[in-house]
Amino acid sequence: MYRYNFLYEFKLLLRSGWMQILSLLLLGLFCFATINGNQKVLKRKQDIHSAKVEVKESDANMLSLLDSVENGMEVSASRWTIPSSPTAVGNYYPRVAAMDPQPLSFVSTGQSDLFTHYVKPTMAGDDFTLNFTEIISPVQQLFGSFDLAFVIVYLLPLIIIAFSYNILSAERESGSLKLLASQPISIHTWVLQKISLRFLLTLILTVIILTIVFVFLVSGNNFKGLFDVIITTAAYILFWFSLAFAVNLRVGDSSKNAIVLLGLWVVFVLLVPSVLNQLGNTLYPMPSRTLMINKMRNLKEEATEKQDEILDNFLRDHPEYALNDPNQSRQFYHRYMASQKLVKEKLEPVTLEFERQLERQQALVSKFRWLSPAIIAQESLNILSGTSTADYENYRKQVIGFAETWRNHLTPLLYNNEPFTSSKYGELPSFNYHPIRLKNNMIASLIIMIVSIGIGFVAYMIAFKGNVSKLIIS
Amino acid sequence: MIRNTFIKEITELARDGRVKIAFFIVLVLLGISTWISSRQYNSTNQQYAEAKNAERSIWNNQGEKNPHSAAHYGTYAFKPKYPLSLIDQGVDKYAGTSIFLEAHNRNEAQFSQAADQTGLARFGDLTPDFILLFIIPLLIVLLGYNAFTKEREMRTLVLIKSQGIAPWKLVLGKWTALFLPILVIMALVIVGAGIILSNLEDFGVFRWSNLGILFLVYICYYIVFVNLVLIVSSKSKKSSISLVLSLAIWIIACFVAPKAASNFAETKHPYPTRQEFAANILKDKQEGLDGHDPWNKQAKLLEQEVLREYNVDSLHQLPFNFDAYRMQKGEEHNAEVYFKHYKYLKSQFEGQTKVYVGLATLSPFLPTRFLSMGVANTDYSTHWDFSDAAEDYRIRMQAFLNNDFAKNSSHGDWSYKAEEATWKKLPAFEYSPPQLAEILSRNSSNIIVLVAWLLGSFSFLFITIKLR
Repeated sequence: MYRYNFLYEFKLLLRSGWMQILSLLLLGLFCFATINGNQKVLKRKQDIHSAKVEVKESDANMLSLLDSVENGMEVSASRWTIPSSPTAVGNYYPRVAAMDPQPLSFVSTGQSDLFTHYVKPTMAGDDFTLNFTEIISPVQQLFGSFDLAFVIVYLLPLIIIAFSYNILSAERESGSLKLLASQPISIHTWVLQKISLRFLLTLILTVIILTIVFVFLVSGNNFKGLFDVIITTAAYILFWFSLAFAVNLRVGDSSKNAIVLLGLWVVFVLLVPSVLNQLGNTLYPMPSRTLMINKMRNLKEEATEKQDEILDNFLRDHPEYALNDPNQSRQFYHRYMASQKLVKEKLEPVTLEFERQLERQQALVSKFRWLSPAIIAQESLNILSGTSTADYENYRKQVIGFAETWRNHLTPLLYNNEPFTSSKYGELPSFNYHPIRLKNNMIASLIIMIVSIGIGFVAYMIAFKGNVSKLIIS
Repeated sequence: MIRNTFIKEITELARDGRVKIAFFIVLVLLGISTWISSRQYNSTNQQYAEAKNAERSIWNNQGEKNPHSAAHYGTYAFKPKYPLSLIDQGVDKYAGTSIFLEAHNRNEAQFSQAADQTGLARFGDLTPDFILLFIIPLLIVLLGYNAFTKEREMRTLVLIKSQGIAPWKLVLGKWTALFLPILVIMALVIVGAGIILSNLEDFGVFRWSNLGILFLVYICYYIVFVNLVLIVSSKSKKSSISLVLSLAIWIIACFVAPKAASNFAETKHPYPTRQEFAANILKDKQEGLDGHDPWNKQAKLLEQEVLREYNVDSLHQLPFNFDAYRMQKGEEHNAEVYFKHYKYLKSQFEGQTKVYVGLATLSPFLPTRFLSMGVANTDYSTHWDFSDAAEDYRIRMQAFLNNDFAKNSSHGDWSYKAEEATWKKLPAFEYSPPQLAEILSRNSSNIIVLVAWLLGSFSFLFITIKLR
């Protein structure tokens, strides 16, 4: 009986065009999303590459200038940009601190449309004003991007709902359920078979299409990544199928089923995330950035006053520097660099408060994300893609660390009044981005799977204990 | 007959438990979101007022200073929140709120709210515009998907036909019954928002006319959805199929089309990266006059030109400080460079806007979204407008400071300090957002597309209707 049911269902799905529509729909959506995501990644790579090329060119220029200076020749650049001064190197010949895309970055846009992927920290610039946001039309950010994560998190459940809301009710409405009831199989087992078949078919199709997309549309075979995406997607698909199973057994006619399932979609995909976000903002509100500017201005003003004091001390300690020095810009940088640290220390508590609130919000979200598998799926995909908030926070911290290294490398030269020479070029520090090590996302997916199976089991048991004839006629 | 159909439909809706629950949920969500938004609106505006005053007093009290030091010290322009952002937050979350105005450089607006939030923020916020744009169309689908199919399923269509009713009368009756509840919700929202806004204390100018236009825009949007749902219902054989088809329309219009449009727009008219943009500007700046560098080629040329014009042979004989004059000329050159590059950025933005309007023929959501943001002064154009106004102010501020420097000191006199009262003479930055007429003319193509949707869906509904 089981085998016949299976075969019969399969043939029915094939002949009704269900399979064909599903395959085409999924293939179309996945391909379009992947092409979009891939375009973004390519542009990002291209941008970083051209920035690096530019630095290479300006380095060649720097070396030739240094060469001329060292050979005592006249150079035709502005006085303060000649790279024999360490501050000129630090400010006019910065390195590229780039965040290279991860192999799976095309899967989810995540936060990548908010932040920039390379900056060039300079010696004089304070870390605080390093701008990490990208210029991009805010309309684009508002609408979001059509990426694989969108297809998986938003659209896949709807497709599942559209293809499984009426597996029992349609039979009842067309009258064929009465025929089935005469067969030696219980109704709920039969519904379970039907929904399992659909689940398996959807899963197999998704796996095949994902594989096609990964192999043909994206350069570089990344089977580990493919496997991770498949696990996350499979857990999410299973969740929606088990909801559909429960609703099919519990609720009445086709339209009601569809409405209930859709209601669940709205709750899990739209409402829970936005309510949670609102909750985070209300419980741990970000301090005002506008008021922070005021604070920063006052602190800087104070520090500027102290800056003279710092310089006085500095000059007393080092009378060989700057006294009656005709070179004004050097004097400026001595003072500037000496007080920079003080300003930074003063500003630290202000900026730290923002980081802390964000961390608190993130902690809240991590706690409550279990309320919606959509959040878990989206977050897992973001983490796999290296486009989550944590990734950009990590990048920001690394850049600030690098800016410090860059400054520390050149500052001694400045204070020792040592010129920068071509022999020191090879020692200049360079930035290497270290992505966060991927934690295993299997556990979250596994929990979703267990919960899904639990939902299915409970629905089955309730139907099992309930009145079967109610399922047939109701 | 129209009246009878209407009464029958309304009674049916009122008796349906699902409808009651859905209605209740929508109203609760609207209430909560409006409450949250008004709280945010109040606190943002208080912070804005506080920051603006504090910044001005920092500027006024900076003490005796060389005007050019004051120019580098700079000031901030803060973007206020406008009353109707209570209903539609638009792109406010993604656009920065403050612009640093200093010598030589035009800065971008900094500190967007979205950059300070967790990844969850990208799912969307619980704001009135979310309910109005996404959830109410869904409510329309739920209320109307079976308007015709239920008659077919319950075999009452034959009875209705036997009454000799003209198809359009039946449609009109059902249409009115479906539209009226939505109209009531929308009216409640608008009146509620109006009352909240007119009771707020003098933050921005609130006008009922803007609110009225917003009402019209949303009503048009809902009418299009009512029409679409009724068209689908009249063409479907079964209620469940009608429901699924209407939902597909909802998903495509509200989720798929905007996202796809954003991808098309970006591919067709990409923005440069922040770093590229800055590098291009720097390159152009270096080719021209550098206000700080007297040895610069352009600066030498300017020097000769000025000496010739005043018929003197040394800069010291000029009646003004040439350093400051050169600085001002350099500032003007920079302003031109910025103008050129921002114009390019703007042309990309305009190209993107055209893509959105083009794709609006696929989705009534797009024109509604843009019109709603526009009228609420929370769209990208308003942000551009603000940023241009700030740049304009920056240029005037630089001219004011450089002129003071040039007038009151002589060449080479960098130790000149303007007295503290000078700073107060610089008028404060004031910005008023574009007026309704301007917004509407700017969004004329969106209006046309929305009206086309309205008329097209109406005529399709009434022309193709057949009672089978």
